[in-house]
Amino acid sequence: MKRNSFVGPAILACLLALACSRGDESDGRLAIALNWKPEPEFGGLFEAQRSGAFRRQGLEVEITGGPGAPVVQMVTAGQVAFGIAAADEVMVARDRGADVVAVYATYQTNPQGIMVHAGLAVDSLEQLFAVEGGTLAVEPGLAYVQWLQKRYDLSRFRIVPYGFSIAPFLADPRMAQQVFITSEPIAARRQGAEPKVFLIADSGFDPYAAVVIASGRRVRERRDEVDRLVAALREGWRGYLDDPAPANAEMQVGNPEMDAETFTLGAVAQKPLIENDFTRAHGLGAMSLARWTALGDQLRELGLLDATPAPADCFLDIRREAGEPRDSQSSRFDAVQQQRVQGGLSSRPPSGIQEGT
Amino acid sequence: MNGFAARIAPPVATFVVATLLAEIAIRALAVSPLLLPPPSAVGRAAWIYSGTLWPALASTAGAVVAGLAASTVVGILAAIALASSRWVERAFYPYAIFFQIVPIVAIAPLLVIWFGYGWRAVVAAAFIVSVFPVIANTLAGLRAVDPALLDLFRLYGAGRVARLVKLELPWALPNLFTGLRIAAGLAVIGAIVGEFVGGGGIGVVVLEAMRQQRTDLVFAAILHASLLGLVLFGTVDGISRVALRRW
Repeated sequence: MKRNSFVGPAILACLLALACSRGDESDGRLAIALNWKPEPEFGGLFEAQRSGAFRRQGLEVEITGGPGAPVVQMVTAGQVAFGIAAADEVMVARDRGADVVAVYATYQTNPQGIMVHAGLAVDSLEQLFAVEGGTLAVEPGLAYVQWLQKRYDLSRFRIVPYGFSIAPFLADPRMAQQVFITSEPIAARRQGAEPKVFLIADSGFDPYAAVVIASGRRVRERRDEVDRLVAALREGWRGYLDDPAPANAEMQVGNPEMDAETFTLGAVAQKPLIENDFTRAHGLGAMSLARWTALGDQLRELGLLDATPAPADCFLDIRREAGEPRDSQSSRFDAVQQQRVQGGLSSRPPSGIQEGT
Repeated sequence: MNGFAARIAPPVATFVVATLLAEIAIRALAVSPLLLPPPSAVGRAAWIYSGTLWPALASTAGAVVAGLAASTVVGILAAIALASSRWVERAFYPYAIFFQIVPIVAIAPLLVIWFGYGWRAVVAAAFIVSVFPVIANTLAGLRAVDPALLDLFRLYGAGRVARLVKLELPWALPNLFTGLRIAAGLAVIGAIVGEFVGGGGIGVVVLEAMRQQRTDLVFAAILHASLLGLVLFGTVDGISRVALRRW
């Protein structure tokens, strides 16, 4: 009891100090917090750094973070300027009152899936979950796990926490687990298993993934800087898609457990998820209101949202103007921008965007 | 009753004042609820999710009690074995210390491989972190027996068993309870870490709440775990009061 009454306020004080320190502006460097070790999913970012794309845009970028980094919280608190999160996390965070905005979506198709042993001879998630006595290892609380639970009958499966090791999977032929298509399946194959992956996206739940996020306040007040970051990311990803080798070599320094071939194969595996007809028309990283709206509907249906965050507030429309004409008000931030350009608007944003505190 | 009130009032006052101060500070600074929810939000989460929290707590409590029981039995037996001779102690005690310094977070994933998913891995984690204080304290008690009394027992020709049961163990009882008090809190931590990898209980509620950015629920779950720790501590304390009445 005594210990609790001292430790509690002490932790509180630390957290408050943390929350109040907004140190990212101090030296002009922009920090981008990753949510995992350097892997092909961040290839374009490392390529933009390596090739000098950030520098050419006048940005000095520092890549930080890692596994377990509370990226959304770090961005909310202003500890880092940008971070990597998933689209569903952005929407949930907004629902909880955090003003974060997606500015660039790496994956058009979500790279997460369920890996099973090919020996199970199942051709769909439906068939998989009909297997008696199977075990599914997933991170508790993932939105797509809720989705699977809603869509399929998981009662025959034992659901256990995923510990980010494929050892239990390798040891149990009836084991299924969550994967990032660029990582675990390749590692499992290299260890002699014959894995098969079902993408969650194919079951109808497809949030943008490896999304670069910023605080809404930054997007409103430093839009030019955000635009330059997006331009650099596009250049970086273009370079990585064309030749992943140089950035892979650099990422491997930060992630020596992943071997060179897994990096190479991962880069190949993710390519169609990053570049598709939509990005060819609108540019890499672009997002659409329709996708965000669909995500919002699904998350609400899953009971993950308390209120109803407006889909248009969740992202910055970075679609390139080339190609088909874009609908003028798909993202609220664009509405602000356009009205500002037209002149008639003071600094007050339209309703729905609260100024950051 | 007066004595009871005198014991309860100070911690309750601390709690109320600290909670109020936290509530005021968090609101005044407009801290995002995602970073640090005010106590009122934590209370609300505890209420809304009580249907999740209480069954989870019951599951965790079961594992903690099982782990703690195992620690008590194994710890006492190990201490008796270690106390049996200086040579045994020298040979094995350093390895008992292993249990104290083992980073439970690091070996937790292995527990799943050794014991499988589920409660066995959780109990094992609770046991591993809580056994050492029992061994160390009981051993210290057994070693501290008054030499004059040992001589007395020898003089009357008491056997090894009689000496252990009638002298050494009763002598070590206060130390044993000190060890158990420490072990009780550690067992809660061990069980939750075990649940992070093995599944179930408060551990999974914490993981889920973190993932879904329900910081208020994270704090509510932690509060429930603390409550479990307090109840266990109180129980051990109560038992020790009864058992040590003669001391």
